[in-house]
Amino acid sequence: MTAAPNEETVRETLRQVVDPELDCNIVDLGLIYGIAIDGSKVTVTMTLTTPGCPMHESIAWGVKRALLNLEAVQEAEVQVVWDPPWTPARMTEHGRACTGIVAR
Amino acid sequence: MADIHAPSVGLPLRFILTGLAALVAGVAWLVARPIVLSGYHYSPEVVAVTHLFVLGWISSVVMGAIYQLVPVALETRLHSQRLAQWHFVLHGIGFVGMVAMFYIWNMKQVGHFASALAVGVGLFVYNLARTLARIPRWNVVAAGIAASLGWLTVTVLAGLYLAAAKCWNFSPFNPLAQMHAHAHLGGLGFFVMMIIAVSYKLVPMFTLSEVRSASRARWSLVLLNTGLAGVFVGILVSSRWKLGPALIVAAGLAVYGREITAILRSRKRRSLDWGLMYFLTAIALLVPVATLGVVLAWPGLPTTLRTAQLESVYGFLALIGVVTFAILGMLYKVVPFLVWYASYSKAIGRHKVPALADLYSPALQAVGYWLFLGGLLVASMATTLSHESGARTGCALLFASIVLFVVNLFKVLAHLIRPRLEPLVLTPAVAST
Repeated sequence: MTAAPNEETVRETLRQVVDPELDCNIVDLGLIYGIAIDGSKVTVTMTLTTPGCPMHESIAWGVKRALLNLEAVQEAEVQVVWDPPWTPARMTEHGRACTGIVAR
Repeated sequence: MADIHAPSVGLPLRFILTGLAALVAGVAWLVARPIVLSGYHYSPEVVAVTHLFVLGWISSVVMGAIYQLVPVALETRLHSQRLAQWHFVLHGIGFVGMVAMFYIWNMKQVGHFASALAVGVGLFVYNLARTLARIPRWNVVAAGIAASLGWLTVTVLAGLYLAAAKCWNFSPFNPLAQMHAHAHLGGLGFFVMMIIAVSYKLVPMFTLSEVRSASRARWSLVLLNTGLAGVFVGILVSSRWKLGPALIVAAGLAVYGREITAILRSRKRRSLDWGLMYFLTAIALLVPVATLGVVLAWPGLPTTLRTAQLESVYGFLALIGVVTFAILGMLYKVVPFLVWYASYSKAIGRHKVPALADLYSPALQAVGYWLFLGGLLVASMATTLSHESGARTGCALLFASIVLFVVNLFKVLAHLIRPRLEPLVLTPAVAST
């Protein structure tokens, strides 16, 4: 039996999902609000940089696909929320450096 | 811009590619026949070329993009994709026939083709009205789009009236005044209003900013709509009082400029890509266009050859400088999105997919930008001076810019045929699971 994934593994996996407009992964963009692991089920709560983002479905789909790539994950759920709204303050230093986005 | 809310990417791409073909043909026409700019503007050839630009190029692209943009930006679904497909057929038949018939000045046939086009526009407006009717949140973007659709309807009705008046000679208005009034409805009411409306969504989205003052944004639309209604009537009846509404329009554009500046100042994404540079430069060109508009509305302005040429510059700068430049900029954002969605959206999370900026060449964008600006400047000066070879030189620069744009766009479209998928690079943490 495969061991349950841990949060760090999931977070690293999500770094493979890149916002194609900003060319930066969603973890360093600060879009991931929460990761809940219940056995082989992973629920990711996330946001996008702007409501009505045209990439909404694609990125949510990509997150789900990336999670299901993990051997230990049998079920993946992605919840996109708008509250609290995203701000650049949530980005990592690496995210800010590669996108040129300023925290204000 | 393509997700569960949006229609299939084939629909907007069909309109966009049709529009691009018309743009290339239109600018090539200007290079071959620069007298269209350097000569007097009320002639069958000028009317034909103008309709090639406004219907073939601008309307095709705007309508195709709007079918895609409205459902996504306003978080709803397009009412009917089938109606949009019929619209495309009627639009194509209508504008090609109109341009040809304008050229040989057969107004009866113009009326027939215009009727086909008008039915298509009716389908477009109906489809969008039904789509707007069910949006969850009514905002300044939706209000601007609705106003733009209203002006489009009035423009088409005014155009049909013009064609009928030419055939049966019943209109009490001056023919030139009628044409100018019709042109303002389309140029300012449909095109500029639509650009302003969508920019309140797109500029914040692409720069990671937000509308700074909703009331200022609303006022820009109120002033524009009020001013345009007055300008239309003022031009139609050749009133000396049209300066008043022209100033209201200018005030609306100034308020719009103030809001866009505020949006840009508070942006979180510092660098502006070339697509946005094209678009924002087009917005800045509203300043000389509005200034010329106010000058041309001045009471008692003498009707001279130079005044007529300034009217040509005004129309040229509005349609090519503002509207075309803005559309080229937005296409640099919209088309990569559409192609990326079609080729890569289902691969995200499974493969390493390119970013949008990897689909085209920024170097070609930069060269195209400067060629376009240079072409605009040279062609505008040559038009003012009725200088035919100068107009040809300016249009040749514009043509070169358009060619670079088309080459760049085909680089993007190539990803539809040959997507570039690479294996995901697993990080050590992932590899260990």
